[in-house]
Amino acid sequence: MATTIDSNSPAAPTGESLLRLQGITKAFGGLRAVDGIDLDVKRGEIFSVIGPNGAGKTTVFNLITGIYKPDQGTMTFDGRSISGLSADRVLRRGITRTFQNIRLFNNMTVLENALVGQHITYPSNLASVMLHLPDYRRADRRATERALELLSFFGPSLVALSNEYASSLSYADRRRVEIVRALGSNPKLMLLDEPTAGMNDVETGDAVTYIQRLRREFNLTILLIEHKLQVTMGISDRIAVLDYGKKIAEGVPVEIQQNPLVIEAYLGRKAEVAQ
Amino acid sequence: MSLQQLGLAGPLASARAWLENTHIAGRSLWWYLTGWRLGLIFLLVAVVLPSLLDQTLVTSAISIFIYALLALGLNIVVGYAGLLDLGYVAFFVIGSYTVAVGTGGILQDAHDNPLTIPTYPFWLLLPLAAVLAGVFGVLLGAPTLRLRGDYLAIVTLGFGEIVPIVFQNLPFFFGNIGMSALPPADVGPITFSDPLNATPFYFLTLIVLVLVILAVTALRDSSLGRAWIAIREDETAAAAAGVNLVRTKLLAFSMGAVVGGIGGALNAAFVTTIAPSDFNFGISITILIMIVLGGIGSIPGVILGAALLRFFDVYLLGTVSNNLEGIPAVATFLAGHDINTAKLLIYGLILIVMILLRPQGLIPDRRRSRELKGIGAAPEDTSAVGLLALEEAGISSVGESAADETTYAGTGSDAQGREG
Repeated sequence: MATTIDSNSPAAPTGESLLRLQGITKAFGGLRAVDGIDLDVKRGEIFSVIGPNGAGKTTVFNLITGIYKPDQGTMTFDGRSISGLSADRVLRRGITRTFQNIRLFNNMTVLENALVGQHITYPSNLASVMLHLPDYRRADRRATERALELLSFFGPSLVALSNEYASSLSYADRRRVEIVRALGSNPKLMLLDEPTAGMNDVETGDAVTYIQRLRREFNLTILLIEHKLQVTMGISDRIAVLDYGKKIAEGVPVEIQQNPLVIEAYLGRKAEVAQ
Repeated sequence: MSLQQLGLAGPLASARAWLENTHIAGRSLWWYLTGWRLGLIFLLVAVVLPSLLDQTLVTSAISIFIYALLALGLNIVVGYAGLLDLGYVAFFVIGSYTVAVGTGGILQDAHDNPLTIPTYPFWLLLPLAAVLAGVFGVLLGAPTLRLRGDYLAIVTLGFGEIVPIVFQNLPFFFGNIGMSALPPADVGPITFSDPLNATPFYFLTLIVLVLVILAVTALRDSSLGRAWIAIREDETAAAAAGVNLVRTKLLAFSMGAVVGGIGGALNAAFVTTIAPSDFNFGISITILIMIVLGGIGSIPGVILGAALLRFFDVYLLGTVSNNLEGIPAVATFLAGHDINTAKLLIYGLILIVMILLRPQGLIPDRRRSRELKGIGAAPEDTSAVGLLALEEAGISSVGESAADETTYAGTGSDAQGREG
């Protein structure tokens, strides 16, 4: 694991496009959850997607990661099309994710969860797997070492929990294990769906720190859905705002804060809630 | 109703405590009875057993081994991958007919005229049966494994019904009369065809059973086994972690089928006459009950389940009814009834009692008992409890759950998350 804290590391965006969505549309019945969205995420960036409830943010994530197929539009990653690929093939291309409502394998240990995250590093040849041939054992040994290494990203306390069942962990630790699982495939792009949801201020502060460390130490580009504006405004290089499935604004945090459409979308929605 | 209410929990717990606290050579008795030690004990007992038993019991033991094989095969599908297969008998049929056709050397044409075909040795047909069953497993699995749990169960049920009917109605296989199979050819001085000495066949099935136990253990402890658990728990998360859902499910299905085919091949060579009526839905269900009785996902449990039910079926039922018929009053009552017809009633009772008292089975799989107790169930696990409580846990279809997320994107994650 690279642990350089060099400000010249690829943390800074390069301006080269990594993920590009053009005219992506997805409808459920009559509802256009995502309606002609364009996104252009640069390599090395922390790019946030914000918007009121039901704006279509998670649907965008599900479309990128192959859980949904878009009705219209194209998606390219690292110069190649990823439209219509299944979830596991999207992962193989280098896009990984976490889920809004933490989807760990609860009846597996922390270590086993981390190993599932490295599933693609195991041989797929059935004979190797069944007979535990040398190539399988080598992959298994490497995966276990790597899993412990990734757990240590969050400090020795998480490593100490590696044989506990995932369900027995604290909420914040389960979020961390989900990130460890997501790191297992050596991704280029990580999609974080509300990584600080349900966290108090201290835990949120920790999360902000490790999101920045993720980018730096794993050379990741990060696409983030986040509700807490103090988080997004603080760490994002750029922000896109969705409302009713459409992108209503995009820019650096300062631009977004001053954009009248954004203010209206947020305040308008808040007024409705107040009724 | 629970074990506590029946006053059984106490004695069971103290028995376990006694095993754990009684030490021999620095290890507890419990240690000797778990893991590979248990396998070794099983093997030693199984090797000695034929010299202690009369031939009737050796024959019963062969039948137990064959059903233990089948239960281990179905356990890959149901216990590991969490796919409910109600038509497992289909692969048993395919294996059985492969050996019958291949060793018998005679078929029928459309006008009931005999049709002579070349014969092949059992030793060649055994692997062929495995391959054929595996191929049919893939053929059935490929289009159906995209279905949700309960739909998959119905489709497999249909497959289990169709396959015996196909063998019944195609002109080649002598319809309802069925076919004869030959026992395996002699290997040196070992002869498998002596009707008075079943011991060689006993050891043949034992060897195959041991190989299958080793294979399913290795599978369970492999990256593939982990992928199956992942799919069982949360398909969407498994796919997002790089597990190819279709391929992984198909592997479970076809490997279960392979074991079913092997069981069928041994069965045909053992009973030597097979007919379509031998293979019915009752067999699929019996094998499933063996798994539930012994412990879903648990290798020793599944073998124990098979042993108990099969012993009951082939030995106890016959002995008990013979003895009962010695009593005049009972004999009069039984005259019009066959105790065998009560078998499925008794199986049904076993199933109900197990589900109520000990759903995790007699020798539970640790992970499966956690799942059954609902420990660590994901908040979205609200799908109805499926048939026989074997329905896979978690998200039944990606579409539904993700649609929820769309509607509620970003809401209430505080509450939801904390609950989980």
